[in-house]
Amino acid sequence: MSAPATGNVPEAPSGSLLRRVAWHWRHDEKRELWIGWWTLVVFYNLYGLLFFVITRTQPPPEPSLDPSEIARWFHDRHLGLLYGYALVFIVGGATAIMNATLAYSMRRMSVSRAFAYSYLVIYALATLPGMLIMGVACTVGAMRPDRDPELMRWLYDFAFLSFEGTMGVFLIGSLVWMLAILLDENGVFPKWFGYLNLCNALTEVVVAPAWIFKSGPFAWNGVIAWWINMGVFVTYTIAFLTLLRRMILREDFGTGPLPDLSTAPASTPSGSLKAAR
Amino acid sequence: MKRTDGEVLLLGTLPVVGVIWLSAFFLFPGFVHPMSPTMSAEEVAAFYRDPGNLPRIRYSMILFNWFAVGFIPILALIVLQIRRMAHRTPIFAYAIIACAAGGPTIFLMANLFWLLAAFRPMRDPQLTLMFNDLAWVTFSSQVGFLIAQSVILALAIYLDRQERPVFRPWVAHFNLVVAALLTPAAFVGAALTGPVAWDGLLTFWVRNVAIGLWIIVMAVVLGQAIRRQRAEDEAATT
Repeated sequence: MSAPATGNVPEAPSGSLLRRVAWHWRHDEKRELWIGWWTLVVFYNLYGLLFFVITRTQPPPEPSLDPSEIARWFHDRHLGLLYGYALVFIVGGATAIMNATLAYSMRRMSVSRAFAYSYLVIYALATLPGMLIMGVACTVGAMRPDRDPELMRWLYDFAFLSFEGTMGVFLIGSLVWMLAILLDENGVFPKWFGYLNLCNALTEVVVAPAWIFKSGPFAWNGVIAWWINMGVFVTYTIAFLTLLRRMILREDFGTGPLPDLSTAPASTPSGSLKAAR
Repeated sequence: MKRTDGEVLLLGTLPVVGVIWLSAFFLFPGFVHPMSPTMSAEEVAAFYRDPGNLPRIRYSMILFNWFAVGFIPILALIVLQIRRMAHRTPIFAYAIIACAAGGPTIFLMANLFWLLAAFRPMRDPQLTLMFNDLAWVTFSSQVGFLIAQSVILALAIYLDRQERPVFRPWVAHFNLVVAALLTPAAFVGAALTGPVAWDGLLTFWVRNVAIGLWIIVMAVVLGQAIRRQRAEDEAATT
């Protein structure tokens, strides 16, 4: 595999955003990684906006609402659900490039490629319970306001329990990443982040009672099942976005330990490096 | 020296699978004149109870259940071509693998809802209506992985900077156009009539024709790329 020979490369311009983006597109050896990272950043911001503000499905409502209250819940969010989830459906596939970038972090470690491949497939499937099934259930619930409220309740349960009650993909996915980080000798991620993966995995354990309780701290909107879960998830996401950015800055496309931030080339417009394959 | 690694065989399955998809499409009575979202629960129940429709609904959806995943080997071949591109990381190839896992799974969910509605057509029409809604909304709105697939492929092609790129730039432009044509279908829930309704011009006709066209165009350029790769490999070994 021949890396593109870029020859004499101009300095990174400090001009407008558009010019800088164009420079990176043309010359930055790390552009594939940066595309993945920026997709992650934009997506998680959009995810927060769509779920908390536009569809208003997070924080989740009470599981114990009666059918007429559930019908009103759908009615109150009619346009938000229909247009908000349409946007979720359009950008949902972006998770593919995001998970590919996270899988690459494992590919850069000293561990077997089995870790990267497992993570990639597990999180490809996680998109369904992670948001798409909920989107379909909420769209179907909102599209016919005159539907029998009992069936609205079934759609409401389907939405929130698929979202919160499908745990294995995130549980095993986080554990795969944790193991890879703890075994890695290339220093791609700090070991403490390996343990933060364990915290994220454990939130998937404590959410299980949401299948049993309809109110209280263990219900799907409860302090334990939702608030602690979300707190850990937000911390975890901010941490890995920061660490992934550092990883990209440190990347030398070699196979040994990643260099420190101070010694790594900032942007490497060089065509002589061996492609990481 | 002829290589028998099976890639050409996998590519050859596409016309067969394509014919089966097309037959299943025409066999399903709800596609040729797409069912209207404005049908009442009783009308939807009558559609499933009609003895002329019921076997066609079941057989067409069983065919889709068997062959919907038949496209995955073709995506795997596309992944192999992406790996030949002049990239620094395998990220684009990984991303297409992720799309290949996600897309068909979603289509199978729609397929299950249709088959469930047809399994006991005598149940409460409200339930049949709900299963029918779930099937059509899942089928129509879930364009995300298809859009991502096209955009990622386009990015991969644009960044394939070598003397003779694997795919020509027009293939990337074509993929972006297809991605744009698929987008309106995501809004399927927002209207029961008009172009974005599930039987509408944009959501049904434009979207499905775009998917069909994508499959045909990608199959042709993929075939060309594989043939060229083989010729180059042969030249290198002799």
